[in-house]
Amino acid sequence: MVNSIFLQLLTGLQLGAIYVLISLGLALIFGTLGVVNFAHGAMFMVAAYLGVVISQAEWGGWGMAIVLVPIILFGLGLLMERGLIRFFYTRPHTDQILVTFGLAIVLQEGFKWYFGANNLPFATPDWGSGIMRLHEYLPFLEGFVAYPKWRLILTAVSLITVALLFALLQFTTFGLVVRAGMRDSEMLRLLGVNISQRFAIVFALGVAIAGIAGVFGGPVTQVDPGIGMVFLVPSFLVVVIGGMGSLPGAVLASFIIGLAISFTATIPALANIIVYLIAILILLFRPRGLLGQKGVME
Amino acid sequence: MSDQAYFSCRDLHAYYGESYIVQGISFEVAEGEILALLGRNGAGKTTTLSAIARMQDPQVKQGSITLAGQDLTAMKPYEAARAGVQLVPEDRRIIPGITVEENLIIAQISEPKGWDLERIYNHFPRLRERRKQEGVTLSGGEQQMLAVARALARDIKILLLDEPYEGLAPVIVKEIEGIVREIKELGITTIIVEQNAVAALKLADKAIIMESGEIVYSGSAKEVLESKALREEYLAI
Repeated sequence: MVNSIFLQLLTGLQLGAIYVLISLGLALIFGTLGVVNFAHGAMFMVAAYLGVVISQAEWGGWGMAIVLVPIILFGLGLLMERGLIRFFYTRPHTDQILVTFGLAIVLQEGFKWYFGANNLPFATPDWGSGIMRLHEYLPFLEGFVAYPKWRLILTAVSLITVALLFALLQFTTFGLVVRAGMRDSEMLRLLGVNISQRFAIVFALGVAIAGIAGVFGGPVTQVDPGIGMVFLVPSFLVVVIGGMGSLPGAVLASFIIGLAISFTATIPALANIIVYLIAILILLFRPRGLLGQKGVME
Repeated sequence: MSDQAYFSCRDLHAYYGESYIVQGISFEVAEGEILALLGRNGAGKTTTLSAIARMQDPQVKQGSITLAGQDLTAMKPYEAARAGVQLVPEDRRIIPGITVEENLIIAQISEPKGWDLERIYNHFPRLRERRKQEGVTLSGGEQQMLAVARALARDIKILLLDEPYEGLAPVIVKEIEGIVREIKELGITTIIVEQNAVAALKLADKAIIMESGEIVYSGSAKEVLESKALREEYLAI
């Protein structure tokens, strides 16, 4: 009993770990720039492919993939923001959705054309393969309890990323500007801050975090051209449940969703709809989401 | 008009979308002078200040704005702020979610800076007491104080005060009046928009009265204060 609950808890955290990395970027981008970025899932997909390619390349390897993928995605994010997204800031959300959705489809089809539609095998590195014998570390577990090592690493990386992002936002001047800018960007401009420049960096940061999700999450999920879309919809729900633009809300909602899916996994019919059920219930009682603030998108 | 005016608006036309709000106004402010910008609700006073601060809305479709030899007309809001324009908005716009001190630090991210925190706190001891408190939890008067302090944290060439006394209790109005008087003593060039015309006129050197987006009177503040006819016709006081 203790064992199965503990394992479901771990699986829930691990599922939440991917959602949190994708939805943090979404919430960050929406909260600062007011842009609904439907191409965010595609960034996860691109990162997963880059992870496969770099980790298996002769010149590459896993270490290089971990370092390079987020950096490449950061650059890609900057390029995307400066080259496309910034022209849509003052346009309606529907225009933003159309253009980012369009970009997502172009990327998806481009990758399908180049890599094929099938799942690419994405092997974990030697140091991250195999299982952890959890009962050896956790005395409350009964008998033999093992869990895939990589999934634990993914969860840890996700939690560390969340902690680093919050530290960046909470304890640096850059973070102060971003936090203030999320609440009233116009006032910041009136105080001489070129907030657009900083928001471009925030956009890229959001995409880089999706990059971390892709490279660490890829071996756990699948690597195929449609994987971005698979994660986009629940991630958006996470952002809505958490409260549009609220980062702590996104974190909280990610783990709620992850745990809910994990604990209903034995009842497939329920597992498929649990995310939507939770969304309905939460929005019914808290229309702004769990930690949504007044005045955002209203 | 002279070419050397410290601050000037020339033939300014400003729109909110299709609405034509400011309809070709021209005026000047000399260095160190306080100008009271008066008129009824909807006359275009706030729009004029917003246009000077180069806010995204309203759109300036014609005319020019210059300050200390710089042309502000094509500037973005942050560029105008760096050029020395400081707007203290009507609703004060204290940024939620951050502390009093962070609201002040935010004003000192970009050059040129004005007063440092120490000087601000010495001048406004109440803000020092509350520096760790979230800015929006301050009382109305304290928020106004913070809004002015935040402006002083920047190097101001022209201060735009939009309804500094609005929504404040009479006792608090007195306090803020004191602060505005100090601003005058510091010699900061100021444009003040205020419903409470008498309070504004007592401080101002010059006055402009706007009606339906146009200037209907321009002269000395003292003249408006003393002319019952002017006050009755345009200000309903």
